[in-house]
Amino acid sequence: MAIKFAGDFEVKRSPEEVYDFLSDPARFAALLPDFQGLSIQDSTHFTVKVNVGISYIKGTAEVKMELAQAERPKRAQYKGQGSMAGGNVTLMAGFDLEPIDGGTKVAWQGEAQIFGRLTSMAGGLLEPLGKKQIQKLIDGLQAALGRQDAGATPVPPEPMETA
Amino acid sequence: MSTKNDAKNWVGQALPRKEENRLLRGRGKFADDIKLREMLYLRFVRSPYAHARIVSVDVSAAATLPGVFGTLTGAEIAAQTQPFIEIGPDACGRIKDYPLAVSKVRYQGEPVVAVVAESPSLADDAAELVQIEYEALDPVVDAEAALTDKSILHDEAGTNQVWNGVFEYGDVDKAFREAAYIVNIDRMHFHRFSSTPLENNVVIAQWNPKDDRIYYECNNSFPSFAIQFLSAHLGVNIDRIRVETSDIGGSFGIKITSYPQMAVCALASKKAGGRPVKWVETRTEHITSSAHGNERTFRDTRVALDKNGVITGLASRHIDDCGAYPRYEPLGCVIWSQVFPGVYRFKNARIDFTQAVTNKCPVGPNRGYSRMQHLWFLERVIDICGHELGIPSDEIRLRNYIRPEEFPYTTPNGCVYDSGNYQKMLQVAKERLGWEEWKKKQAAARKGGRLVGIGIGTTLDSGTNNFGQSQIVNPGAPFSGNSQGANCKLDIYGEVVVSVGSCPQGQGHETTAAQVVADVLNIHPDRITVRTGFDTERNVHTGFSGTYASQFAVSGLSAVHGAAQKLRTEMMRLGAFLLETNEDDIEFGTGEQGPEVRSKSTKKSVNYWGLANIVNVNSAVLPSELYEVTLNCRYIWRAPFKVPDKQKKYGSLTLTYASQLHIAVVEIERDTFIPRILDYVAVDDCGTVINPPIVEGQVYGATAHGIGAALMENCVYDAVGNMLTSTFSDYTPITAMNMPKVKYDHIETPSPHSYSGAKGMGEGGAAPIHTISAALQDALFASGIMIDDSFNNADSLFRAMVAKEISQIKNLVRVEKRV
Repeated sequence: MAIKFAGDFEVKRSPEEVYDFLSDPARFAALLPDFQGLSIQDSTHFTVKVNVGISYIKGTAEVKMELAQAERPKRAQYKGQGSMAGGNVTLMAGFDLEPIDGGTKVAWQGEAQIFGRLTSMAGGLLEPLGKKQIQKLIDGLQAALGRQDAGATPVPPEPMETA
Repeated sequence: MSTKNDAKNWVGQALPRKEENRLLRGRGKFADDIKLREMLYLRFVRSPYAHARIVSVDVSAAATLPGVFGTLTGAEIAAQTQPFIEIGPDACGRIKDYPLAVSKVRYQGEPVVAVVAESPSLADDAAELVQIEYEALDPVVDAEAALTDKSILHDEAGTNQVWNGVFEYGDVDKAFREAAYIVNIDRMHFHRFSSTPLENNVVIAQWNPKDDRIYYECNNSFPSFAIQFLSAHLGVNIDRIRVETSDIGGSFGIKITSYPQMAVCALASKKAGGRPVKWVETRTEHITSSAHGNERTFRDTRVALDKNGVITGLASRHIDDCGAYPRYEPLGCVIWSQVFPGVYRFKNARIDFTQAVTNKCPVGPNRGYSRMQHLWFLERVIDICGHELGIPSDEIRLRNYIRPEEFPYTTPNGCVYDSGNYQKMLQVAKERLGWEEWKKKQAAARKGGRLVGIGIGTTLDSGTNNFGQSQIVNPGAPFSGNSQGANCKLDIYGEVVVSVGSCPQGQGHETTAAQVVADVLNIHPDRITVRTGFDTERNVHTGFSGTYASQFAVSGLSAVHGAAQKLRTEMMRLGAFLLETNEDDIEFGTGEQGPEVRSKSTKKSVNYWGLANIVNVNSAVLPSELYEVTLNCRYIWRAPFKVPDKQKKYGSLTLTYASQLHIAVVEIERDTFIPRILDYVAVDDCGTVINPPIVEGQVYGATAHGIGAALMENCVYDAVGNMLTSTFSDYTPITAMNMPKVKYDHIETPSPHSYSGAKGMGEGGAAPIHTISAALQDALFASGIMIDDSFNNADSLFRAMVAKEISQIKNLVRVEKRV
C-alpha cells in the first residue's frame, strides 16, 4: 500500500536556516508525531522511535532514517525503513527550498509504502491516518520554523489520537 | 446351514455414511488431535514484503528466550538440503525453491525463519523477537507485467516466464477465412481465489535419531507426491519416510502443496535431537501462504462462427499467474487441455499458453484446477457470441454441444470423452427451473426497470489424470499413466478389512469402498471395515496415491474392487476344498454364524472365521496346492493410458468426464449493486452413482465453493504485493447464510472407461462461476456492459455500471460480419 503526499508552505527564514533545521536529526525528528526517542549513528544516519497505533494494534516502530540527499541550501531528502507489529514501512520524504521575498518556500513531497498484515487488518484506515500524521509533521515544521527561536530544539507536538 | 441371503446391489444405494457416527460425535482423529511426548511447537516468521532482499537475520533474542528450543533459517536449510524438484524444464528447472527463504523473499507471507519452542504461545512470542532486515525490491503482481522481466523474481532462472507452448489443432486459418462471423474479445480475466477447509494444514514430524527415519502425521492430501519431493530435498531414501494421515477436514487440492512445511518440521525435529515438532497453520497463514488457485488472463480471443452461430474456430492467448514458486506447476499449463473444447464440437483451435511467476502466494491445485479457468473462458465465449449474434443462450449451446450419439468423443487434442448428454442435462435443468415461467418473469421485471439475468453454465469435471501429460510440459518428466492400490483381507477372526491408498477429506470413501466390497462378497457393508487414511507402511499405495483430481470412484474403487475380487477368488478356492465341492458350486452370503461361503448343491457352509482360521492359525490343514492362498490380497489398478505425443500435444489425458449444468437467475439491485440469486438449479452427471447422498453432498459443496468464488471470495493484492484479504473478515468465504436453495437433479450416462460405469466427481468444474457470469451478462448486456471477469461483487458491478471504469462492451468486443 502506497501513500503519497505533497504540498508547500512559506516561512520567514532564509533557505540556509531552513536547510540546517531540516538536516539536523535532533531538531527534525523531534517533530515526528508520537516521537519517543532518537539515536544518531552519524551525520546522515539516525534511528527514531515513534508510537504507532490503529485501534487495538498499538506498539512502537523503529525507523532507520538516512539523509540521502543533502544539497545545502536547496534540497534535503530522507529515506527510511522501519518495522512495527504487523508490518513494515519504507518511506521517502524530500524538501525543495526556494528563496522568496523575506523567506523560503518549502515544497515537500514523499511516499510511504506499507507492507505486511497491517495493510489487510487496517487497510482502510491507513491512508487517512498516514495523511493526518504527515499533516501534523508539516504543521509542526511550519510552526517551528516560524518561531523566532527556531534554532533551538522545538517542543514536540502533542501525541496524536489513534483511530 | 445358511439361512439368509443378502443378495442386493449395494452400489447405487443411498447408504448412510459409515463415517458419520464418528465424525458427527466429535470422535474423528485429526492431525492436531495428536499429542506426542516431548512434542515441540513450530512457528514461522514470515515476510511482510512481497519482494525484498534479505539483508540480515538475527535470531539471537528469540533463541535465548526461556522455553525456546531453537530456530532455523533459510541459510541453514540450504546448507544441508537440495532445492525442491522443479517439474518444469529450462528456466523453470533452474529455480531454487527452499522451504524457507534464503536470500530473497518473493511473496508476502513467505516463511523466512522457523522458531521451535515448548509451547505454541512461547513459539509465538519468540517469533516476534526475530529481527530481519530487508531491502525492498520492485514487486510484480501482474503476470503480463511479469513477462516483461523488468523485475525478475528468480535470478537463477533469468526470466519470470515459467512455460510457454502453443496448442494448435485442425486448420485454424481456414476456419477464420470461411467464417460468417468473427467475434473478437480483447481481454478476460479469471480471478485468484482459494479454498477454506475447516481444518488448516497441520504437520507433525519426527526425525528419529535412533533409526534415522522421519515420521509424519499430517493432513497432506497427496502424500505419495509429497514424499517424492521430500526424499530428494532432504537426501533421505523414500522408504525411510513414513507418512500417515487420519481424518482430514477438507483439502480441495490446497493441501497437496504442504510439503515445504513438512520439510521444515522434519529439519527442526532433527535439530532438536529427534523430538517431535508440530506446526498448526493459522487461518491467516492459510489464506496468505498455503496456496491459491491459478489466476489467468485471456487475451486477443478470436472466435469464428458459421451463419448459424456454430463455432468453427478459436484462437486465443492465455497467460497464467502461478505466484512466486511453480511447485505443482507448470502442470496447470497442460491440465486445462484435458477439456480443450469444453462441451463443444469445434475442431479448429489455437491457444498460445504462457505461465509466469509473480510476487504473490504460490498456486496449488485448487478444486477445478486449471480446467475451470479454461471452461469459464469457453462459457464466456459462447455467451458473448450468443449475445452479439442475437442467439438465445440455450439455443447457441444446443447448436454447439457435442451430441449424445458422438460419445465416446475424441477431442481435437486426442482426449476421449467417455459419455455424456449435455442436451438432456439442459432439458432437465430448464424443467427444474421453470425456464419458460422465469423468462416471463424476467421480461416483466425488465419492464419495471429491474436487472434480472438468467445464465447457463455447462462444465466438465475430468477425473483420473494421465500423468503422461507432464511430458507435454517437460519431455524429460518421468511420469505417465495413473494407478491406485488397495488391499482386501480376511483377518484372523474372519473380519473383512479393506485398506486403500486414498486420503479422504469428507468424500465418504469408507462408505463407498464398503459398498463395492459388499457387492463382491454379498454381505452387508456394515460387516466391512475400511481403513481410511494414508500410511506408507501399509504398502497399499502407488506413486499416484492420494485424493485429488476427481478420481476415487474410478481409480480407488477399481483398486478396491480388484482386491475384493482376488479375495473372493481365494475364498472360493478355499471354500471348495473345505466343502468338498468345486468352485462353480460356491456362493457367498450370510448365515447364522455370520458371513459365509456355501455349497449351492449340499447347502453345507463355512463361515469367514473358519476360512481365516485355516489360513492364518491352523495351516497344517491346508494342502500344499493352496499354500498360495493368503486371504490377504493386494491389487494395483492401472489406468489404460499411453504416453501422449509430446510434440503434437496429443493424447488421452483423462479417463472420465463427469459433467454439470447449472442455471441461475440473478438480480442486481439497482441501489446497492448487490447481485442476488433468485433461483438456482444444479444438474450432475457422474455416470453410475455409487452412493446418491454422497454425490449430492459433493454437488452442494462444489456449488457453494463456486458461488463463493463468483460473488464473494477474491485474493486481492495491492500494487506492492500486500494481500488485502488475509482474514475471513476481508476474504468473506461463503457460509450457509449466503447459499440459495439449490434445486438438485442428475442424469446418468455410465462411463465405458470404468468397471462400474462411475466417473470421478466432486470438483464441480466451477459451474457456478460460469453460470453466475452468464446470468450477470444476461442482465447487463443491454446496458452495454460485458462480464469479463470471473469475480463480480457489488463493488465491481458499481464500477462497471456507474463509474464506467471497466467492462464496457464497445471497448472489449468487436464483431466482423461477413454475411
